[in-house]
Amino acid sequence: MTPTVSASGLSLRYGGTRALDDVSLRLSAGVTGLLGPNGAGKTTLLRVLATAVPADRGAFTVLGHDPGTSRGRQEVRRHLGYLPQTPGFHPDFTPFEFVDYVAILKELTDRAARHREVRRVLDEAGLDGVRGKRIRKLSGGMRQRVALAAALVGDPAFLVLDEPTVGLDPEQRMRFRELIARAGEGRTVLLSTHQTEDVAMLCHRVVVLAGGTVRFDGTPAELTARAAGRVWSSAERDPGAKAGWRTGLGTFRNVGDPPVGADLLEPTLEDGYLLTLDGLDGVDTEVAA
Amino acid sequence: MPVRAIDPALLRPAVRTMPWRAIGAAGALGLLLAAVPRLMGEEADARLALDALRASAVTFALGAAFVLDDPARHTTAAVPTRRAVRHGLRVLLVASVAAVWWTAALLLVPEAVRPPAVGITVEAATALTLALSGAAFAIHRGDGARPGRAVAAFLLTLAVLGPLLTPGSWALFVPPDDPRWAAAHGRWAVLLCAEVVVGAVCAAEPGRRLTPRGLRSPSGTSGPSRA
Repeated sequence: MTPTVSASGLSLRYGGTRALDDVSLRLSAGVTGLLGPNGAGKTTLLRVLATAVPADRGAFTVLGHDPGTSRGRQEVRRHLGYLPQTPGFHPDFTPFEFVDYVAILKELTDRAARHREVRRVLDEAGLDGVRGKRIRKLSGGMRQRVALAAALVGDPAFLVLDEPTVGLDPEQRMRFRELIARAGEGRTVLLSTHQTEDVAMLCHRVVVLAGGTVRFDGTPAELTARAAGRVWSSAERDPGAKAGWRTGLGTFRNVGDPPVGADLLEPTLEDGYLLTLDGLDGVDTEVAA
Repeated sequence: MPVRAIDPALLRPAVRTMPWRAIGAAGALGLLLAAVPRLMGEEADARLALDALRASAVTFALGAAFVLDDPARHTTAAVPTRRAVRHGLRVLLVASVAAVWWTAALLLVPEAVRPPAVGITVEAATALTLALSGAAFAIHRGDGARPGRAVAAFLLTLAVLGPLLTPGSWALFVPPDDPRWAAAHGRWAVLLCAEVVVGAVCAAEPGRRLTPRGLRSPSGTSGPSRA
């Protein structure tokens, strides 16, 4: 399959801090999850791939277009939808007006066709009932949907979503996952998240980023398999474990190299992720909890 | 779906996203300042009129510092319509308003004490352009959504300290009867041109990183790693 996105050796530094270090990726149709602890470089990588910030070194193409040139960057953006980590809005706009504004910025010039497209994405995002309401009056979850609708308008081939489920309640998160799953049908979606459940439920592929480098690139099943035979239960925290935490049952779940005779447990994606990161250091508590 | 580089339909939302409150407040205060010589009647002199117009120009520029504030900047960071086009449209809108506003401000000053229009207009244009190019510079370096407040603070500081710190050999703030008036306005014009160049350069989006490292950071809440 021809990759939608092909990145090679992407590096970016902020002062003495290495945000990305020689990241290479090839993304094809479907939802790819980008997992990593805070400061792993996820947002930076997404911003680079969304052409919001250029890399220091390395190159990438989207559908064969090189964003290193002005013309190439415009071509890339014509095929791109981007939902940033903290999307901002013009609060006095309605969802229809805002998405229509983004559609104009995306060069959809035919008014009637554009309005049809805006109605389509608002409908797809479940905003049909509030499209005339001011954004300032919408809940956080609804605003996230407006941002997703703005990313989807123009039917982009490559969708970049930066932690879209952060701050949503479980029901909203579930609905948002449905939206993303639908969006991933037939297009390439790169989804940054702290939530291993998001990856388990949505993604055909997962990339783990830490310290600006790719630590794992494979399927969720392969990441889970990394923890096979390396997760065990104990009455006390096992000092030999790479990571261990108390569960709701009062026992401790440990990952690492189990002692002889340990009570082995079925591994999860989260276990594989923690082992890939070599423990809990720097891992967001949301993941480890 | 047909595509085109610049859509006239962009004008309407662009007008709506302008910070009209800041511009309106600054404009109203500026007109009030410009009206001071007229309100003072015969007590007003040329020096007072000059100071009133300068203060008026700075006040409007303070409002214009917010012109490039865009809460949706990050949501619209990856659209094909270039940043230069989006900024250019906003600058054109504020420039149109500024032209009308400045004409009104000039006419508010009694003709007998009004400073030479060309010279004082160059000063006002320099103040306005400094605000706009400052905002463009702040976005270029920091990629913030709302640079206006910082730019306005910088502009206000400069307006206060500028007359005190400008070297005598490069005098800028001179009265019309000063023999250095023409030379000073040559310098104002140089500053104006320099600001236009800075603003134009900053409106472009670099395809490669051209700025010194360490000056920008990602907008995400996640901080960079310490690797």
